[in-house]
Amino acid sequence: MSAFWYYVFTLVFFLFDYFILAMGLNIQYGETGILNFAYIGFVAIGAYVTGAASLPNSAGTGQQYIMGWGLPFPFNLLLGGLVASAVAVLVALIALRRLRTDYLAMVLVSLSLVLYDVINNYVPLFNGADGLYNVPQPMAGIFHLTTNSFIPFFAVVTGLVALLMWFIMSRIMNSPLGRTFRAIRDDDGVAGALGKNPFGYKLTSMIIGAFYAGVGGGLIIQFGGSFNPTAWLPGETFVVFAVIIVGGVGNNVGMLVGALLVETLLIHLPAFLPEIPGHPGLIEYIDTMVVGVLLMVMLWFRPQGVVPERVRKSAGMLADRARGRGRQLTTASEGQGKSGE
Amino acid sequence: MSDNVTPTTGAPVYALQCQDLKKAFQGVLAVAGATFDVPQGQITALIGPNGAGKTTVVNLLSGMMPSDSGRMQLVGTDVTNWPSHKIARRGLMRSFQLSRELGGLTVLENLLVAPKHQAGESLFNIFFRPLAVRREERENVERALETLKTYGLYDLRDNRARELSGGQKKLLEIARAVMAQPKVLLLDEPMAGVNPALIDRIGEYILDLKASGVTVLMVEHNLNVVEKICDHVIVLAEGRTLATGKLSDLRANQDVVQAYLGEVINASTHG
Ligand SMILES: Nc1ncnc2c1ncn2[C@@H]1O[C@H](COP(=O)(O)OP(=O)(O)O)[C@@H](O)[C@H]1O
Ligand SMILES: [Mg+2]
Repeated sequence: MSAFWYYVFTLVFFLFDYFILAMGLNIQYGETGILNFAYIGFVAIGAYVTGAASLPNSAGTGQQYIMGWGLPFPFNLLLGGLVASAVAVLVALIALRRLRTDYLAMVLVSLSLVLYDVINNYVPLFNGADGLYNVPQPMAGIFHLTTNSFIPFFAVVTGLVALLMWFIMSRIMNSPLGRTFRAIRDDDGVAGALGKNPFGYKLTSMIIGAFYAGVGGGLIIQFGGSFNPTAWLPGETFVVFAVIIVGGVGNNVGMLVGALLVETLLIHLPAFLPEIPGHPGLIEYIDTMVVGVLLMVMLWFRPQGVVPERVRKSAGMLADRARGRGRQLTTASEGQGKSGE
Repeated sequence: MSDNVTPTTGAPVYALQCQDLKKAFQGVLAVAGATFDVPQGQITALIGPNGAGKTTVVNLLSGMMPSDSGRMQLVGTDVTNWPSHKIARRGLMRSFQLSRELGGLTVLENLLVAPKHQAGESLFNIFFRPLAVRREERENVERALETLKTYGLYDLRDNRARELSGGQKKLLEIARAVMAQPKVLLLDEPMAGVNPALIDRIGEYILDLKASGVTVLMVEHNLNVVEKICDHVIVLAEGRTLATGKLSDLRANQDVVQAYLGEVINASTHG
């Protein structure tokens, strides 16, 4: 396979993976209003757990890690998502019960720094600062994949996973549960006065979002075969925030557009561009700056994002019933596309 | 038999009772020992000068903030310092003095949030009992559209709530509370800042709610309105219950007149 296609499928992989990550952060922040500045920590947990579960027993591998069960795809991925969700429960119990949004954000930043330090310094957990490597390529044996053919194969697998997770997320967002999330986002005091327990719903939202984060992370470690501290610097959380803000908070199609614009075009594409002569590594810094500038421009001129949250019209609610079973897919593709306003 | 009509057992003929409620903000007593009962199935007015603590009392009764001391009962259940969602599920709904619409939701969605214990609010039901979810949602949509018709908001059903005018937001708050089928409704100045025609309409709505068995406690400044629709009046001054009774009795009460009613009564009866 030519280097060109290798690049293209790498970009496709990151497009779909960040689509998943963006949907997870969107349900937390865009739908429920939880400013989760620790999001990348849940991505990392998913990555490490998926990796450590798929690796063989650590004895003789030159690495130290827990688990080492040789767990196959997709069970390793599912486990990564579930463990991330379990950690979200703990975080929610600590941080989400009483704190106001701004304090909560600070506590979450602190928690993600603590998590970062623990994982990167406590070697027996996930091999410390070296991180995990030599993670087996999923299904490579079954489909006789080579190092080259694995890249497009796994980009497609990620696309299918993203499609499934989009279906599930649309269903949640278009349900009464999604509506109650948005009520809490708009005014959790009012939601409480209407009999909704804000903490309970925020907890649910954290669990769902963390599962998406964990799965997205699990896909990353399986795609590249390794994962280490440089992959989840705490600032990475803001790249995912940039994806959802640019794309359009509250809209799944916006998540895909945001992933394309921010993650694929701005973060990953420049890595394949030729270096600026005499300034090695400069491009990488420039792209981070470009993301920052784009974020500011968007917040200034189009805070609702490229694809804004759609208005859920009563006619749609009435028509949905008539269409019966096919309703979720139709609302997802047709309804989400409408830009509202 | 329902236990709420037998006074001999001490069971409630009162929808709400509070004893010696206190609440301070940074040392300033906003509510300094409020004690009163709200009779079931009637409309009670909570009046008093600005800063008397009326809104704070409503916040305490609805669980929006904990009291420093004192007790509250809702239809015979002690709900002292319960969180607002638990009080709401017991059948107490409220509106806000400064409207708090769910701005990003449509008018219809504002109402659809209100029903308690919706099947579709459970992740499990969404994926494993989709038919039950859809059936309940259909019923709720139909009831919400009916309610919007009643309150004259039907044409605005697909507008985002933040786009409504002040008066429309007041109506939306009442409609949303009604959608939750409350036993007790607390209204914090439901007619403040709305035009006279709408004041009359809101008055009618409140009388209709009473007719359907809802207990109403409303904060209201306009004594003409109080006279027209309220059965009882509670006067609050400096965080304390100054007097309770019928408005006509209170007019004769020298304390009340001096503390509060004097100027207002004179102003409103002249008008
Ligand atoms: N959240 C708050 N923080 C500080 N002071 C408050 C707060 N809410 C009310 N107060 C004070 O408590 C007193 C009573 O206010 P309030 O209950 O709003 O009166 P009313 O509704 O009768 O006009 C006022 O002095 C007000 O400034
Ligand atoms: Mg007030």
